[in-house]
Amino acid sequence: MPILNSVYRHREAGHELTDIAAYQAAGGFAALKQALGDMEPDDLLYVFHRSGLRGRGGAGFPMGRKASFLPKDAKLAKYVVCNADESEPGTFKDREIIEMNPFQLIEGVALAGYAIGAERGYIYIRGEYEYQARILEQAILTAREAGFLGSDVVRSNFTFDITLYRGAGAYICGEETGLLESLEGKRGQPRLKPPFPAVAGLYSSPTLINNVETLSALPPIVTRGADWYAALGPEKSPGTKIFSVSGHVLRPGNYEVVLGETTLRELIFEHAGGVREGQRVKAIWVGGSSVPVLGEQHLDTPLDYESLNAVGTFLGSGGCIVMDDSGSIVRATLRLASFYRHESCGKCTPCREGTGWIERILQRIVDGDGRMEDLELLESIFGRISGKVLCALAEGAVAPIASAIKLFRADFVAAIEQGGSPRPEPMWPASPAEAR
Amino acid sequence: MTADQIRAHIDPIRHEFAESRSLVLPALKYAQTEKGHLTRADLEAVAEATGFSAAFVESVASFYDRLYLEPTGTRVVSVCVTLSCMLRGADEVWEHLCEREGVSYHGGTSEDGRITIQEAQCLGYCDHAPCIQVDADETIGPMTPESAGSVVDDVRAAPAPDEFWR
Repeated sequence: MPILNSVYRHREAGHELTDIAAYQAAGGFAALKQALGDMEPDDLLYVFHRSGLRGRGGAGFPMGRKASFLPKDAKLAKYVVCNADESEPGTFKDREIIEMNPFQLIEGVALAGYAIGAERGYIYIRGEYEYQARILEQAILTAREAGFLGSDVVRSNFTFDITLYRGAGAYICGEETGLLESLEGKRGQPRLKPPFPAVAGLYSSPTLINNVETLSALPPIVTRGADWYAALGPEKSPGTKIFSVSGHVLRPGNYEVVLGETTLRELIFEHAGGVREGQRVKAIWVGGSSVPVLGEQHLDTPLDYESLNAVGTFLGSGGCIVMDDSGSIVRATLRLASFYRHESCGKCTPCREGTGWIERILQRIVDGDGRMEDLELLESIFGRISGKVLCALAEGAVAPIASAIKLFRADFVAAIEQGGSPRPEPMWPASPAEAR
Repeated sequence: MTADQIRAHIDPIRHEFAESRSLVLPALKYAQTEKGHLTRADLEAVAEATGFSAAFVESVASFYDRLYLEPTGTRVVSVCVTLSCMLRGADEVWEHLCEREGVSYHGGTSEDGRITIQEAQCLGYCDHAPCIQVDADETIGPMTPESAGSVVDDVRAAPAPDEFWR
């Protein structure tokens, strides 16, 4: 179904645009022609800035401002890096863009390259997305043959090409400096910041790193104008955001909403079909798993950066995981703890050791060997991790767990007092036709 | 795999990187396609082809989940066990596959050497939860324990692929 005001041309068109002719027929590459034809790089940068677009990977940092941090003097090569290492639990929006609309991403990367004065861009894609990597690889070849990449892009003297780089299975490579380390052929362990990538990124050169969804938003911002984009949604959170909704909902999937105009309740119940009859929403991790968990009382929160911050969580990647009251919050929290323990890169001791401690303590609570003082012990561990690590992974590990113990303390106390937390029945497909 | 074979794969992309160390990861992934895992000799061949020490190459290889330094079964089946899949039955799928392949709940390789079952962290198919992935083929779901079992049956019956992309 075509979607009015969608920022993504395949959603606007209502069908996939994996064919370059179809992408162009839907308005594709008009932005690149327009920018290279009659805009100076600084003008383009100013358009990005004025649109108010914020990074869609998780941190929500204004994209135009990030790009403006790159030094203007051109002694070193500059790079655009697209973060397609989509690994945040519950997030599958970049996968959709790559599968359905790879050229919009390519056009966005090229626009960003022109704006900052880069000659090469890299798309770093997670190793598990080999199927998507092949789609993207073919699209890059096609775009090059059509003159949208390579030397003299659309006969403008602008030289720009894109290299697809495959990861090999590591959540931490979605952290921007971990990604850069991996792209440099090393273990993907994050760097101490500053210097930030804008100053010293890939090969110590000025580097702009943005997520797939962010870069894909650039072409329509150029063709429709920064004012159009800035007018969608609230002043500080303009634009649309794709939320990936999963877990205990009847219609899991990607839903694009104008920020500030849709509540969490509408996202879950109207878009994603709500929870099963007779069930109630118990817990929501709205921005991927690395954010503080919300409860049923937060359902009327509007979906935008500020409103979500006001209830103590983050918009994050928009990976909205929903659990109904058939689920066990203690077991769900343990499962997230296991994820972060597995994915900790091992560089910072508080994270490497702390995520293991958290997992073991939660495991014994689930198994019925918990002690009441375990909750205080967990809280003391959070304080020894938070703020004492190089990157956001450990903060992301603490946030959902600390918030769950706070919001659902009675559930943890019950698990300790009643000898553990039994495994609930999962939500199975309603009909065999739904199952593969 | 020989250093010459690896060179033939990475030489065409060498100019795309300002530093040749960026070739180490593509070289490792390519070297693994021969046997599905990396031997000592493979690591040395990658070292020779890229110009870095075997110790450095091994330090990189040991970091990534999808680079295997020990032999695996002919095909590797990854079962996503992260939260969204767990809520939709991933643990039941996992346990069923482990039992029918005769491996512990930590995963492992079936006695006939055909199938390795391993846990995976979020595969990005939460709209198809619970999902599984065979090597680096397209991830599939939603699975039930039974349908995941028939996927494994099909994989076991199929000939081994020419190249192991994991």
